[in-house]
Amino acid sequence: MAAPPLPPETAAPPRDPLVAEPVPARPVPPRRRLPWRSRLGPYALLVPALVPVAVGLGYPLARQFVLSFQEYGLAQQFGRPAEWVGLRNYTDLLSDPYVWGVIGRSIAFCLVNAGLTMAIGVTLAVLMTRVGRGARITLQVGLLLAWGTPVLATLTVWQWLFDSQYGVVNWLLSDPLGAEGFRGHSWIIEPASFYLVATVIVVWMSVPFVVFTTYAALLQVPAECVEAAQLDGASAWQRFRHLSLPLIKPVLLIAGLLQVIWDLRVFTQIHVLQKAGAPTRETHLLGTYVYSLSREFSLAGAMATVMLVITLCLTGFYIRRMLREEDL
Amino acid sequence: MRRVRTGGLAAAAVASLLAVSACGGGEAAEASSDTEVRLWLNGTDTPQELRDYLKETFEADHEGMTLVIEEQDWSGLVPRLQTALSSEDQTPDLVEIGNTQSPTFTYAGAFTELTDVYEDLGGDDLLPGFVDAGTADGTLYAVPYYSGARAVFYRKDLFQQAGVAVPTTLEEFRTAAIALQQANPSPDFSGFWFPGQDWYNGVAWVFSNGGDLAVQEGDRWVGALSSPESQEALAEVQDLFTNATRAPRDADSNEPWVAFNNGQAAMFSAPTWARSSIALPECDKGVDPDDTSPEAEALLAEQQACNEEITGVFPLPGEQPGSSAPVFAGGSNIAIPTMSQRQEEARDLLRIIFSEEYQTMLAENGLIPGNSQYADALGDDVYAQAALAAARNAKLTPAAEQWADVEGARILEDFFQQVASGADVAQAAAEADRLMEETLN
Repeated sequence: MAAPPLPPETAAPPRDPLVAEPVPARPVPPRRRLPWRSRLGPYALLVPALVPVAVGLGYPLARQFVLSFQEYGLAQQFGRPAEWVGLRNYTDLLSDPYVWGVIGRSIAFCLVNAGLTMAIGVTLAVLMTRVGRGARITLQVGLLLAWGTPVLATLTVWQWLFDSQYGVVNWLLSDPLGAEGFRGHSWIIEPASFYLVATVIVVWMSVPFVVFTTYAALLQVPAECVEAAQLDGASAWQRFRHLSLPLIKPVLLIAGLLQVIWDLRVFTQIHVLQKAGAPTRETHLLGTYVYSLSREFSLAGAMATVMLVITLCLTGFYIRRMLREEDL
Repeated sequence: MRRVRTGGLAAAAVASLLAVSACGGGEAAEASSDTEVRLWLNGTDTPQELRDYLKETFEADHEGMTLVIEEQDWSGLVPRLQTALSSEDQTPDLVEIGNTQSPTFTYAGAFTELTDVYEDLGGDDLLPGFVDAGTADGTLYAVPYYSGARAVFYRKDLFQQAGVAVPTTLEEFRTAAIALQQANPSPDFSGFWFPGQDWYNGVAWVFSNGGDLAVQEGDRWVGALSSPESQEALAEVQDLFTNATRAPRDADSNEPWVAFNNGQAAMFSAPTWARSSIALPECDKGVDPDDTSPEAEALLAEQQACNEEITGVFPLPGEQPGSSAPVFAGGSNIAIPTMSQRQEEARDLLRIIFSEEYQTMLAENGLIPGNSQYADALGDDVYAQAALAAARNAKLTPAAEQWADVEGARILEDFFQQVASGADVAQAAAEADRLMEETLN
């Protein structure tokens, strides 16, 4: 797997990160063939990782794919033979405007949430590099707690906060602040404000991950480069924009990629809020919609496959870019 | 930076793996040993005393076998049954299932035929609506376990203050609820606690008016919320939502006694066993729930008496004076999964459940037993009377194969919420009918 060691005379000098130098094209020395036994070694090391992936991920994926071309419901699960129906599940789903509504909502929800999470996360990470030790530790502990609390516990608290009858948010708005309209106001009954509440909760729970990864990456930015830039008269914003940001970009790309994946198939938060009394049909996102189809496994399988394709489309760009940087 | 990148990629891979495996967690397969019979009961409706009785009686009859009773949560029950019942290793040997969920599984072939023991278990004395829910294509697969009818609980003192009498018709009920709310202008007060998603109670008006949720025409199910009868009833329901309640539109029928206990509602409707959940602040003796001394128990009894002094109960009245409305019957069926390897033992257990002793115990605990012959043991206090009156006229949801899907998709919760939010009833009903037809056919 490792690239062949570069001959010392062609090793590039340490590049100034401020200036993107063109890499001179150079002939790649022909790779010497190793005996097959030692070539096999690294691959053998992959086996322990590949087996669980194939069993845990590959099998369900293949099964889901096969199911999506069958008619497979509860009766089939209890022994009735499953019928092959070709693409019918897909055409049924994709010809339904409601499904496209769900897809559109999910993509919008995903992009808004991932964007907000990244923006708030990076801001907090930068803040953490600037503040004193006491403030930083407080921030870190707070973030860790927000991250470490089990999802359902967090959701219960949020649900209580936004409860229409006894919730503290409504009380705060209507009693001390005098906005009478918010007495008994239901936050989740309108899809728009439902998604607002969901966004607050999802962002709240995913920001800490972004903060910690970004903060760790920021610590890797060499202090001497920053100092040099400062001596050259670069402002704080310029130092961040042109020095730190390019250096931590790979980390940001991965964090962003993960956010997109997580937020596209968000389930728990939406499901719990729906159970709390939101109109179910109008608030479905992909995750909860697939779950609602679960009694008809074949249809749910087809929808999950569509969801996989959407995820790949959304993240393909990221992954390509990441792999390209890997090859530099 | 290369190290950071590959590290990140690995992290991404690991994280997604973890996320995927987290979804699959949950039920660990329980190895059922050779001498074990497993019974699944849902929620806490079956009291401990009854569970002990089952265990003792069954184990006395079956030397060397143990009965394991596992309590399942009502919410999420259908997907859990879906996985458990189709696996020989995981299936319980006898299972309780909500009456409205029953058809989905009977049609799928999940249960063993019970026609041969029908007479043994009680024959025509078994609650008929529940037997229908347990029958698929003329074959019996599930039998009624118990039923809990709904009745209306009310505050006697608030009725007096508002000068309202116990209503004897559905029309009077509505005017009483509105009058009660007007008599108590607090912005949190409801004349009748009627949250927006509470279709369990709302449907009583539809049934009472001669309407229905869905009806079978030939081999097709047709949504019936748009019928003139249903529409008339739904207009009354909307009036109640608008003028007789300040319950949140985003709440459902769970724990309706909370507002009542807070003095924020004059009436609520719930299964009659809700009497034990009533705890008015006026009566609170501040007993530590863990305290089991005789003094504490005396105080608790006093507290309960005080609660029942202030609280009254009546069956929801029907169209005619003196009649009771066809309320929605909650309750459950019980069945033997096809995959169970203990068919004989499960049948024996079923016979114990339908024995006179056990049925009587169910009734003594305020549940209407599956065999109506033993309903007398409910007693003759006001609660038992209200329960019986309500149960006699109770009605079930349509016995359609896919009915559980309608509930799973929460079509009726959404619909009643729209009615509560002041939507155009005809339009909302047309849409709900369309969704129900799509699901049922």
